[in-house]
Amino acid sequence: MKGQPHGRLRKERVTMDIKLQEHVAFHLTGKRVGVTLEAPEGLGLRPALLAPYKDLTTLRYDFPLVLAKTDAAADCVHSLSAVIDNLLQEVAPRGLDGERTRRHVLGLEREIRGLVAEGAKGPLSDLWETASKLLAAKGSKELTASLARARAALKVDGAVIGCEPDTPARLLTHAWQFVQQTKTRAFKAEIERLIMKLTEVLRADFVRSDAGRSAEQLRASFGTTHADDFDFEALSRMLSEAAPKTALPEGRRQRIEAALEVLRSQRFFEARGGTETPHSFVFDSCAAALYAYRRQLPEMVELIKAVTIAELEIEGRYIDSHHHVYFEEFDANSLRPQDLNLFPGYLVCIRAAGGPMGDNAGLMEVLSLGLPVKVLVQIDDILEEPSVSDGHFAFNARSARLASMAIGLNEVYVMQSSSSNLYQLRDRILKGLQYPGRALFSVFTGASGRSAGLPPYLVAAAAMQARAFPAFTYDPSAGADWASRFTLEDNPQPELDWPVANFAYEDEARQKVSEDVAFTFVDFVACDPRYAKHLAGVPRALWNGSLVPVKESLGHDVNGFPEKVPYLMMVDRNEALHRVIVDDKLILAAQRCRDMWHGLQELGGIRNSYAERMLARERQAWEVEKQREIEAVRREARPATPAMAPVAAPSPAPAVAASTAPSPAPTASAQPAPQPSAPAVEEPKSDEASIETPRCTTCNECTLLNDRMFAYDENKQAYIKDITAGTYRQLVEAAESCQVSIIHPGKPRDLKEPGLEDLLKRAEPFL
Amino acid sequence: MTIHATECVMRMHDDHHDLEEYQGSIPRWCSGCGDNAILAAMQKLCRNEKLRPEKTVFVSGIGCSSRFPHYMKTYGFHGIHGRALPVAEGIKLTRPDLHVFVNTGDGDCCSIGAAHWIHAVRYNMNMTLMLHDNHVYGLTKKQASPTSPKGLRSNTTPRGAYLDPLNPLTITLGVQNVSFVAQAVDWIPEVVYDILEKAFHHKGFSFVRIIQRCPEFLPDMFDAWLHDPLRTLMLTHEKGLHLSPGLTKVYKNQKEHDPLNIDRARELASITDPIPVGILYHNPEVPRYEETRLSPHLRTPEYIQAGLESELDKFTVWPDEGPAARAAA
Repeated sequence: MKGQPHGRLRKERVTMDIKLQEHVAFHLTGKRVGVTLEAPEGLGLRPALLAPYKDLTTLRYDFPLVLAKTDAAADCVHSLSAVIDNLLQEVAPRGLDGERTRRHVLGLEREIRGLVAEGAKGPLSDLWETASKLLAAKGSKELTASLARARAALKVDGAVIGCEPDTPARLLTHAWQFVQQTKTRAFKAEIERLIMKLTEVLRADFVRSDAGRSAEQLRASFGTTHADDFDFEALSRMLSEAAPKTALPEGRRQRIEAALEVLRSQRFFEARGGTETPHSFVFDSCAAALYAYRRQLPEMVELIKAVTIAELEIEGRYIDSHHHVYFEEFDANSLRPQDLNLFPGYLVCIRAAGGPMGDNAGLMEVLSLGLPVKVLVQIDDILEEPSVSDGHFAFNARSARLASMAIGLNEVYVMQSSSSNLYQLRDRILKGLQYPGRALFSVFTGASGRSAGLPPYLVAAAAMQARAFPAFTYDPSAGADWASRFTLEDNPQPELDWPVANFAYEDEARQKVSEDVAFTFVDFVACDPRYAKHLAGVPRALWNGSLVPVKESLGHDVNGFPEKVPYLMMVDRNEALHRVIVDDKLILAAQRCRDMWHGLQELGGIRNSYAERMLARERQAWEVEKQREIEAVRREARPATPAMAPVAAPSPAPAVAASTAPSPAPTASAQPAPQPSAPAVEEPKSDEASIETPRCTTCNECTLLNDRMFAYDENKQAYIKDITAGTYRQLVEAAESCQVSIIHPGKPRDLKEPGLEDLLKRAEPFL
Repeated sequence: MTIHATECVMRMHDDHHDLEEYQGSIPRWCSGCGDNAILAAMQKLCRNEKLRPEKTVFVSGIGCSSRFPHYMKTYGFHGIHGRALPVAEGIKLTRPDLHVFVNTGDGDCCSIGAAHWIHAVRYNMNMTLMLHDNHVYGLTKKQASPTSPKGLRSNTTPRGAYLDPLNPLTITLGVQNVSFVAQAVDWIPEVVYDILEKAFHHKGFSFVRIIQRCPEFLPDMFDAWLHDPLRTLMLTHEKGLHLSPGLTKVYKNQKEHDPLNIDRARELASITDPIPVGILYHNPEVPRYEETRLSPHLRTPEYIQAGLESELDKFTVWPDEGPAARAAA
């Protein structure tokens, strides 16, 4: 690349003043007046930092993607480069042979990338085949062998897609199908289980019925081999007479049949043997999704109701008197969001290519409802012309701000990204699709068709780099606060206003020059020929100190007449470096973009104004406190003055010390209040008969002796039920026979009982 | 999968059964038999856990203890000698929704059923086994069992048992996949209940040995332990047994034992005097056989028929076309 370093001055003072005036005039008015400014149109200019990315087919990067056929949602999308890298680890070990294989397979990857860029479509296996043939035609036998070996080891297959206008929709729909498959598997299996169990109930009833025990039925159920050896008429008579006749009540039968009918005819899942076509859940407008939801809601209610009834019937817990009223009143209000989430979700893919977002109202309505919907808003152009031309840029003002607006709904999972970054954010996409509530994915494709010469991938990547379409994610399931929910970390250098990259070029003396260059919003706009009028090229002869990089100009607001004019470094088709000055309108737009970025940074915890204010306040308080401490130390360090109290004199104890000093011994009048005693448990007196009930082992000894005197409590442990229902002798005998010695006979109630003296002696060990 | 409406309705009219509703026929055990204490604790557990009788099954082998299912008003299977566990495993595999309990004696489990016992521990299927260990065959009128103490004179060992008794705890703790081992004594019913409750809540095979008295054939066997609380070693832990204030006062010989420590559990299990009582080992992470072997297929009649036909086809010669072609059709 040929160029001239920034900062070389040509000292033609008089001329310079005139030229500077022309530059400033352009900057302020946007009019190219005079002969020193060049029109950039037709030069094929693009920002200097995009210079290395002229031909994407020669570069290894995330695209193309392989939408893999697999069972695991996490593996449903791969980068072609990653697939090839994994393959090479397997088939290309270190060494000469491995290196050769590596070269061959990487060549094949380049060929596939080229085919995709030319519009080839199909699964990876087909593209591999095509690319192999192309290479084999001009390659060696070794190449063919290498590719065959690699092909045999290739385990991933699926549609290959480049970074194209329909990429976000294809990628999201693909991932959504996997998530749905996993999500609905359990419900679908549950429905099949319920159908089987309910059918079993009906079948059991049938085989116990007269029809089920008829000779024909018995013969049919027996098989053919020995059927002639049996008298099925006699068998039928015998079974009909012997077996109990307990048929299913008619009401229950009807209920089971009705539930079965609903379960069998549901259209939310593909049922085994089902005859109905399943509902579709992918829509191209919010209105269509909303309409479908409203139509399907009664079916959902009926299905949940049938499932609940089926559960009760299978468990034998349906009680007509209790449940009938409940199911009579069963409606949409009986469902919770988690119930709705059992059903397949709705996917809406909207393309906001040009024109106003007519579906915005529908989108907000869909996102505000409890409907488990995932919406992809695909934006192809964020530099669209404003509907009302007021001389300002309309960038980001409408569709592109949807994601920020949706965050305000609080419970919506929101992800914004350029399509260039979708592969990097695949985990966030899956998380959003798995999120039990609503989700919005706002994706900029860069496929407006207005950026001459730049592929959509580069335009999309540039929008994210330039903060024109920053990436962020708001995940309500990640935690309760913003710090957990919101993240900007997927942006390049999120802590800076503009990301900075090193740019190296060759100057006129063929020396390498290297400098850090920021990629700003102005760089992004400069990719779009529609806005070339806001730019003007400056001939190399006039590159001087009056030109400043855009980043510096954006760093501070200039009031009054500007002394320096912001410029942008751009390269043309021939890789020659240009300086292009920028008009004030574009600078103002860039400032607005930066301010919006600052707002996002605050949400993401970067330079948060609240935190900074609190920090400043705390720092000030800390400094004041420290200052006080320093003063106190200084005071103590000074020699004692006569005014000070003599050391021996007792100084009044400081308040804190007084409060922490041991308190004087309590006086008689200040005796602590007596501790509340534990609730008094009335110990049975030794002269009263008793049983330690909790220790009873339920051995029946005492209850067998006298079940009116001894009984079991609700835990089946013995207690004395009625002391008057037996004699003292029985009490003593019970105590003696008790296996765990927990019966205490106490003193006799009847002092005239015969043999009392002996009984008292026998009772002594148990008192 | 949980449906809110279904949960609501299920909870709306929760079944409640009194203890008496779990009582089957009147026990024919001898009066004073320790089996009664286990029965009472189990009926209390069923009531407190609100176990639905039709969802609960007790399986037993042969012996005094194995009469247990008759005395529970639930499903029951009074099986054959030593074979309670295979029956229980079959029930659990086909009906994982049932609560399965196994009642077995020291003869039933540790002698003729020993092989099934070892493998049941290894399978770790979700069920609770109660080993009613009274150290004697009572139903056959005093014969020595594997846990009878050395020197016990019985009808089969008139000169006294020659061998040291088998220790069911150390054996169980030595088997791979063991997940829950506890010991109780029937004369402390509160602890019997507490241990059974923990065993019931453990997801896996819970082995509970309950040392019990046989007042008929070994009336004095445990008198020394019964009358001296210090000869009972209470194993307590925040993840194990919690003693009530009343028991703490009586049973002062206590030791804290972490039920996850299997080495210490094995040491404690070897102690015979004092008798360790409590949860010796509890590891909820051991995989359960019925879950490991769970088939994702719904066992519809058609599925079962297809499986059977596929098996039978292996032994059948089809003159026109092979089984593979038929299946494809």
